[in-house]
Amino acid sequence: MADKETIIGPDTRISGEVRGDEDLVVRGRIDGRVQLTQNLTVEKGATVQADVDVRQLVVSGTVVGAIVASESVKLMSTARVVGDLASPRVMMEAGAAYRGRVDMGDIAAARAAVSARAVQRPAASEKAAIRPAPPRMAMPGKAVVAAKPAAAPVTPAAVARPTTPAVAGAAVPALAPAFPRVAGAMNAMAPAWAKKKIRRR
Amino acid sequence: MAKEKDAKPMANTVIGSSIVIDGEITGEESLTILGTVKGKISVGQNLVVESGATVEADVEAQTVTVSGRLTGNVVARERIELKPDSKMVGDAKSPRIVIADGAGFKGNVDMDV
Repeated sequence: MADKETIIGPDTRISGEVRGDEDLVVRGRIDGRVQLTQNLTVEKGATVQADVDVRQLVVSGTVVGAIVASESVKLMSTARVVGDLASPRVMMEAGAAYRGRVDMGDIAAARAAVSARAVQRPAASEKAAIRPAPPRMAMPGKAVVAAKPAAAPVTPAAVARPTTPAVAGAAVPALAPAFPRVAGAMNAMAPAWAKKKIRRR
Repeated sequence: MAKEKDAKPMANTVIGSSIVIDGEITGEESLTILGTVKGKISVGQNLVVESGATVEADVEAQTVTVSGRLTGNVVARERIELKPDSKMVGDAKSPRIVIADGAGFKGNVDMDV
């Protein structure tokens, strides 16, 4: 079924990973990662913002990302490429714009580096996903710290004292409807940690 | 490269049979899939899932024609067509839905009636 080659049309965008064993022609846009055992052609007007691992690469458009080509890389006159490039044969036409490091030697090492990057990426996004959690976890502690000194000078807040300090953060909203006056005092001091909460998020 | 230019004008984007895409495809043109796509597909015109192709994605298109295997919810503004020997699992929403004899389908049908 290799009669039909893969074409990404000019108005099509793929974000994610593209893998395969056939030629790929990009006229549109790919963001993410491209791994082929065959050739990649990035036509004029096309953009590939991805780590690329292919056999032959021909660029007339734009490529941003680490490039590994086991056979050759050809940058045509209209090419704009940013990223490190590893391939035994590298050709650049006059007019091609390129920034990065070229390595015509150790392709295996470059490939390992690129695939290591690909492994790191999801990990980094996982970290980003988890990152909001620690501030949330820290919130009750912070709230208690903030509530303690604020509660001391306000007289009605003495009513609130029987509540365990450790639960103070959680008790604040619970107390509010039961003691309207205290709730007022609570509201007065609420902004301190309420603001903090907003800032934290 | 010149010979590539006059290749099949019917579909602007073709995902070949050995290609695996993991992610999102968005576009304003037609898309023909012979390979495997997992994720999400949103095209302005026609989506064709050829026989032998596997799509595990939520799909949005003008028309959707399935000859292969499609798993996911499909919304077509015009028409969904399940060809003989196609397999589809998921909800289908479109004003016109055609299911051919021999097609396998499991899911809800919503024709907006």
